[in-house]
Amino acid sequence: MLVDETLPADRREHVAEHLRACAACADDVARLAAVAARLREAPPAAPAPGDLWPSIRKRIDDTKVVAIDATEAAPVSRITWRHRVGVAVVAAGVVLTVLVLRPSHSVPVEEVPSSSDTASLRMVADSVRSYEEEARVLLNRLEIQRAMLRPDAMAAIDADLRTIDGAIEELKRAIADDPNNPALRRLLAASFRQKVELLKRAGSAS
Amino acid sequence: MTRAGAVRAAAASPPMGDDVVRRAQQGDVDAFEAIYRAAMPSVHALCRRMTGDEQEARELVQDAFVRAWERLTTFRGQSSLHTWLHRLTVNVVLEHFRVAKRESLRFASDDATWAGVAGTDRRNDTRLDLESALESLPRGARIVFALHLEGYSHDEIAQMTGIAAGTARAQLWRARRALSSLLDQ
Repeated sequence: MLVDETLPADRREHVAEHLRACAACADDVARLAAVAARLREAPPAAPAPGDLWPSIRKRIDDTKVVAIDATEAAPVSRITWRHRVGVAVVAAGVVLTVLVLRPSHSVPVEEVPSSSDTASLRMVADSVRSYEEEARVLLNRLEIQRAMLRPDAMAAIDADLRTIDGAIEELKRAIADDPNNPALRRLLAASFRQKVELLKRAGSAS
Repeated sequence: MTRAGAVRAAAASPPMGDDVVRRAQQGDVDAFEAIYRAAMPSVHALCRRMTGDEQEARELVQDAFVRAWERLTTFRGQSSLHTWLHRLTVNVVLEHFRVAKRESLRFASDDATWAGVAGTDRRNDTRLDLESALESLPRGARIVFALHLEGYSHDEIAQMTGIAAGTARAQLWRARRALSSLLDQ
């Protein structure tokens, strides 16, 4: 422990005093310290092996080793059929709701939104902008990480994104026709939220 | 790991640029290859010291780098990349020993075993180099000593290998004495 410098302070003086009086122990400590110093200073002497990189690269490619984020361990397999059904159901629901909520073009009615409706519209519009921006950032990140995901998993994510994007486009067209309809805007925000959640799951799996 | 060990690990290989690490974390395999080429000698030396066997060391080097690729996104830059790699390599090697359930983690305390180490035949009369001297140690002691060279404290070594801290100290003491005897012959 003296050589390791881990000897408690209260015992160090006692040991030092003994070493001053005992040549054999002092010599022993000196030799042990010399071994420790020599081993620390010596570079690794084992010859480097032949190139192991081809084997390592093959294992990475063969097993499609995917970097795992330790903080959000969500393996690719968690993007399951349940999620995909969920995406499809929500998208279908969006389309039906749009059809129901869309005003009939044969009955031109001018509606002046109330002040509470205006505030609500503004809040939802802000949410949509926020989700849109977050989705854009996550999409950029997914493009970078695309190579790390298995092809079948990436294809599933792309298909889900197409479904959600289709619903979003439908909603945007409906909103263009009926800009003062808060329900449509809330649906749009919900669709963007779903897109963001999908992209986050995909990102944590890559 | 002690600060001395961290400094030693970092000094063992050329520094790794942040850009290379970031690109590797984003999935750039070519960037990861650059990390491999820079760190491989020290990682191999560590595996060799812990196992005492070249073939086993080569397999564990590959396991360590595949694990590093899997876990690279968990590297947050709080230590140097080489310190992080060495820590990961130690874990890979110790897991290998546990899975193999071999005697490799048996810690010899009998005098007969240690006397055999000190009496290693030296007919060719050349001084043993350091690595050969390490390889002649009983396996458990060699692992403890290798971890000590990496800069781990007695308590850390004890925790990692599943032995008592006192046993770790005793093994280290015996290893030093044996090495001192071998290297002075």
